[in-house]
Amino acid sequence: MKVRFKLNGKWVEVDAKPNEILLDTLRLKLGARSVKRGCETAECGACTVLLDGKPVYSCTILTPMVEGREVITVDYLAETGEIQPLMEAFAEHGAVQCGFCTPGFILTAYAFLKQNPRPSEWEVRKAVEGNLCRCTGYQKIIEAILDAAERMRKSNGNK
Amino acid sequence: MPEDPYSLIERWMKARSFLVIGKSVTRADAIEKILGRAKYVEDFLDGALFAKMVLSTEPHARILGIDDSAALRIKGVRRVITARDVPGINEVGYALPDQPLLADKKVRYIGDTVALVVADDFEAALRGAEEVDVKYEPLPHILDPLEAMERTDVLIHEENGSNIAFRTKVRKGDVEEGFSKADVVVENEYRTHRQDHIYLETEAALAVPGLDGRLTVITAAQHPHLAQKIVAKVLGVNWSDIKIIVPYLGGGFGGKDDEGPLVAAKAALAAYLTGKPVFLEYTREESILVHPKRESTIIKYKSGATNDGKLVAAEITIIHDTGAYANRGPFILWRATVHATGPYKVPNVKVDGYAVYTNKVPQGSYRGFGNPSAQFAAESQMDLLAEKLGMDPVEFRLKNLLRPGDDTATGQVLEDSVGIAEALEKLAKVADWKRKRETYGKDTGRFRRGIGVAVAWHGISTSRGVPDWSNAYLKVERDGSVTVHTGIVEIGQGSPNSSHRQIVAEVLGIPPEKVKVVYGTTDAPDTGATHASRGTTVGAIGPFIAAAKVRERLERLASELLHAPVEQIEFVNGIIKVRGTDKQITWEKLIDEAYKRGVEVSATGYFFLPKGKFDDEKGRGFAYPAYSFIAMIAEVEVDTWTGVTRVTRVWPALAAGKIINPQQVEGQIEGAVAQGMGYVLMEQFVFDERGRILNPNLTDYVIPTALDMPQVMKPVYVEDLFKYSPFGAKGVGEMALIPAPAAIANAVAHALGIRFTQLPLTPERILLTLRGEK
Repeated sequence: MKVRFKLNGKWVEVDAKPNEILLDTLRLKLGARSVKRGCETAECGACTVLLDGKPVYSCTILTPMVEGREVITVDYLAETGEIQPLMEAFAEHGAVQCGFCTPGFILTAYAFLKQNPRPSEWEVRKAVEGNLCRCTGYQKIIEAILDAAERMRKSNGNK
Repeated sequence: MPEDPYSLIERWMKARSFLVIGKSVTRADAIEKILGRAKYVEDFLDGALFAKMVLSTEPHARILGIDDSAALRIKGVRRVITARDVPGINEVGYALPDQPLLADKKVRYIGDTVALVVADDFEAALRGAEEVDVKYEPLPHILDPLEAMERTDVLIHEENGSNIAFRTKVRKGDVEEGFSKADVVVENEYRTHRQDHIYLETEAALAVPGLDGRLTVITAAQHPHLAQKIVAKVLGVNWSDIKIIVPYLGGGFGGKDDEGPLVAAKAALAAYLTGKPVFLEYTREESILVHPKRESTIIKYKSGATNDGKLVAAEITIIHDTGAYANRGPFILWRATVHATGPYKVPNVKVDGYAVYTNKVPQGSYRGFGNPSAQFAAESQMDLLAEKLGMDPVEFRLKNLLRPGDDTATGQVLEDSVGIAEALEKLAKVADWKRKRETYGKDTGRFRRGIGVAVAWHGISTSRGVPDWSNAYLKVERDGSVTVHTGIVEIGQGSPNSSHRQIVAEVLGIPPEKVKVVYGTTDAPDTGATHASRGTTVGAIGPFIAAAKVRERLERLASELLHAPVEQIEFVNGIIKVRGTDKQITWEKLIDEAYKRGVEVSATGYFFLPKGKFDDEKGRGFAYPAYSFIAMIAEVEVDTWTGVTRVTRVWPALAAGKIINPQQVEGQIEGAVAQGMGYVLMEQFVFDERGRILNPNLTDYVIPTALDMPQVMKPVYVEDLFKYSPFGAKGVGEMALIPAPAAIANAVAHALGIRFTQLPLTPERILLTLRGEK
């Protein structure tokens, strides 16, 4: 079946099977390789994308379900510059090791900081609970997100 | 001798001020990984056939026949591959020749690979695999290693004549005499369990025939040259006909050292037989069912000390449930056997190790490699002895820790690079140990606080006299940028993208941005595996020596060009200066001159680690060229209503030689603490009566999330330099996992006043124990 949705600011149309998962459509048909395959059972968060602005696991979204909706991956937010503070903070804090979980964390953190620009450490931990990382022990990821929040506040005139 | 590696290592060991060594330089791959542009195996998939494995559904059975006719009738299925189709050698065991790539006569665990189905698309491959009909004649199976040791009527490997796959031993002094001098003796049996690596990227390989004149396999492995060997062996071709590329890996932790070459061989076999590119990727469930796990162990431990707090004897029996195949079990057992006393001076030691076959998923390499379970037993014993002696656990350890000049359990004298006692002393101060140890452990309410300590050691490089070397190729391009080729892989640890880069930049006196490390390729010389915490300590010696050779040549050239003695020439951030003058030349200009004047600016760096001999018969001798050491203090809070243990804070202290990049080292420590904490509190497999894993998914095999993690404090470093490594660095990657189970278990024992000898410390186990039901 034909499914039309907005991917990273552009409308796309794909021919998808009714049981096709969004992860496969994005990775294998639309070349969005920043979306990673980790478990395919909605546990690890490596396949996180933003669906109408909210982080979801693309492995448990069927492609026909996104008809007419908006899907965003990290690629787009890099282009628009919106994740610049997160990018800088993750790099400087050493929050990246193997990197397989990183795009998922960036998307979850980005959506979360939009809702909550002044989070406590506990709130950050709670927000990324659905993203697994096996390398870092999370500490530097949490530090990076808290730092990114501060950088964002500063660049927004410390509102 | 010009360009002699020993003198080059020595020269740089003397350096006291550094441009980039010891600094938290941002790793080269950070941005591309953040933006999701870094490529992992599946990211190279573009127009290939798909392969799917047919896995054994029997724990132990003879294969009577494989009927592929129904599978071949499915549209899109191209071929079903079984052991018979292997053109070369089907046997792929690492330590013992006991493991077929594709099961031939028998299957030995639920998860053994029986066949491969190759199809035009994933769905057809999946349906094809479901339709392959394997006829089995079930055989009696054994799951308990103690039972397996006793029985000879059921043999998992008939040709071995016993279910004991391998034995090890260490002997020192006379344990009977030692125990006769002991004032206190503690004897216990410890049990530890299997752990899965849960690298977020599962095993995958893409095999492409004919690319660049060879069969190229892009695969998730930890030693490209080992994958090359296994693929060549299975296909019956020369190693030079196979090229392995290991791109970025989504974690490995040892698991891809075992399974990596095998997934590569399966994909390569299918590509070779069909003449087309073939892609094979394990699902999470397949990954958990198939690949080897951390050892499960039974450790019987008796140790004794005198009233003045000196250890006098240790008698230890280690039984590893090695599962269906030996895999690397013998090496793991060997490491456990040698490290079983802990990093202590013990005059009388007797250790016996047994690796035993059972019909379960094999034991394999996992960060720590047999050592976390050994140190869990050793460090539980140390606390119990201290308690009997009425001594503080830190004080008791300090009385017995190895110091320079002491000999280990195998009788090897450690002349230098033994900083553990200083590390523990400093750590106890930083963590405010004395006060907390006296205050905690007295709570009586719902929440009980405890604090525990553990130390650990881990031998650098391969064990005994097993040869180990580093080898790499470096060239300075004409524009002054530098390319390094190494077989070390980028598994997340950052060796190629941080430490290698910093080491080369330091030696050449250029900014790290000028150094590009091409990693994980068989087009580099065999650098050895990225395992055993060796990526920087051994792996980086190759690039280091290559850079040091080029530096000496360039110093001579600069001396000519600047009319100054070599001793006066210094290289600082891309500028070559004559000390104390304003005479200088840029790095780019110097390189251009080198090209014009016939000075070679490419080099291989090779170093063969000097080692001694170990006598396996006597159980004595040389074990490792050096040891890394760690001390860890953990603070916990146990909820006596729910049985849930929260680790609140962890203090680490490393005696691991020179710290090349503190931020990356912290990352290794924090990540290892997470895996160690998960292991001791949460992670657990449930096997059914046929040895099948009942929870092969992340829903029921639970690993830590951001909410579970303790705060890991800044590490204490004691830089006890190792004489055969770049700048004196020792291994770090595995270290913090090794004492973590013991430190946490000791803290729980302090909180509750109850000693647990079996892991994991799940809420269920703690509650049942508190209620006296277990």
